[in-house]
This record gives sequence, C-alpha cells and structure tokens, in this order.
Amino acid sequence: MARINDVGGTQGFGAIDTTDDTEPFHADWEARVVGLYNTLRAQGIFNTNEFRDAIESMPPAEYLAASYYERWFTAICALLERKGVLAPGELDD
Amino acid sequence: MTDASPDGFPPGTDRFPPGTRVRTYRHDPPHHTRLPRYARGKRGVVVEPEGPDELADVSAQGRGDAPVEQIYAVRFEARDLWGEGDHHVVLDLWESYLEEDPDDER
Repeated sequence: MARINDVGGTQGFGAIDTTDDTEPFHADWEARVVGLYNTLRAQGIFNTNEFRDAIESMPPAEYLAASYYERWFTAICALLERKGVLAPGELDD
Repeated sequence: MTDASPDGFPPGTDRFPPGTRVRTYRHDPPHHTRLPRYARGKRGVVVEPEGPDELADVSAQGRGDAPVEQIYAVRFEARDLWGEGDHHVVLDLWESYLEEDPDDER
C-alpha cells in the first residue's frame, strides 16, 4: 500500500517549482509549528520516523490540498492524540 | 557488544560489498518505509555501505526494538526503473530491502 507521498517518478503532478525561495517561513504560525516539532521530539514524545509515518497517513485528498507546514501540524496533532498527550477531539473546541 | 563503533552502533556487516548486484524486495508495508514505489522489485548495484542505522520501518511504528542494519548506496539505471532514460539514480537502502541477484538468474 504505497501512500500518497510516494509519487517519485509519477507523471501528472506538473512541473517542479524551482523558484529560488530563501525565506524559511511565510507566516509566523509556520515557525511555531517547527518549534512545537523540535520541542516534542526533544521530549521523546515521538521520533522522526513516527512523524513521517503520521504525515504519510493523511487522507490523500487532504494531503494534496495541504501546504508543507499544514502537513507538519496535522501530523503533530495526530501523534499527540495517539500518544495520549491530548484527548481525542481536544483540539476541536 | 565489544566491537561497537564510537557512536554506539555496531559496525556495518557489509553483507553486500561494493559492486554486488542486488534486487530490491517488493516491499509494500502498511507503514512508513524508505523503499520508494518506483524502486520495488528492481535490480541495482551496490556502490558502498553508508553506515548502520535503526530500520526506519520499525522505528516509525513507535517500537523500541528496531533492528540496526547496514544502509547501502545502491545505483539503479533509469531505464530499469522507468523503461527509459540514460541517467542513473542512487538510493540509500536498508539491508533488509535487498537480496543478492545472482548472475544466473538474470
């Protein structure tokens, strides 16, 4: 069951955007997501491979519609629920 | 272990020396893996060992028992992967993604 992230060599995704973009973040929330990731990793809440697995587990339509850091945030939230740090649905309020 | 390298990992097993012809498994697990779809069941040649690391497929499941395996740089001809192209692709692959590809089966 190859996942939606695994599209190497697949046609139909259009040209790769090779614009030289040196800005690491395009919104403050993106930097906060990276801070969250670094903190949770350092605390041993999850490892890098679990994080990648969580990103790849997004429903394909959601994955394709999401920006890079939206995928990161989705994965972090999923892992926090899976690890019991957050109750299911706790972030919905 | 007595002969662990300074970073705590055992030394590479070097089961596949440089130049070994290998074939990738048709590895399609329901969890994270580092063997991309386009490189499954394909033939390549080992370039060199890259050092051992925990198998990502197991580590991705949040398990503490991920085996430490040698990672190999493996060279694939583009035409073997996609049926065309004169270039090649080098992938870093864990030992358990690979099996030896004897000449007499080619």
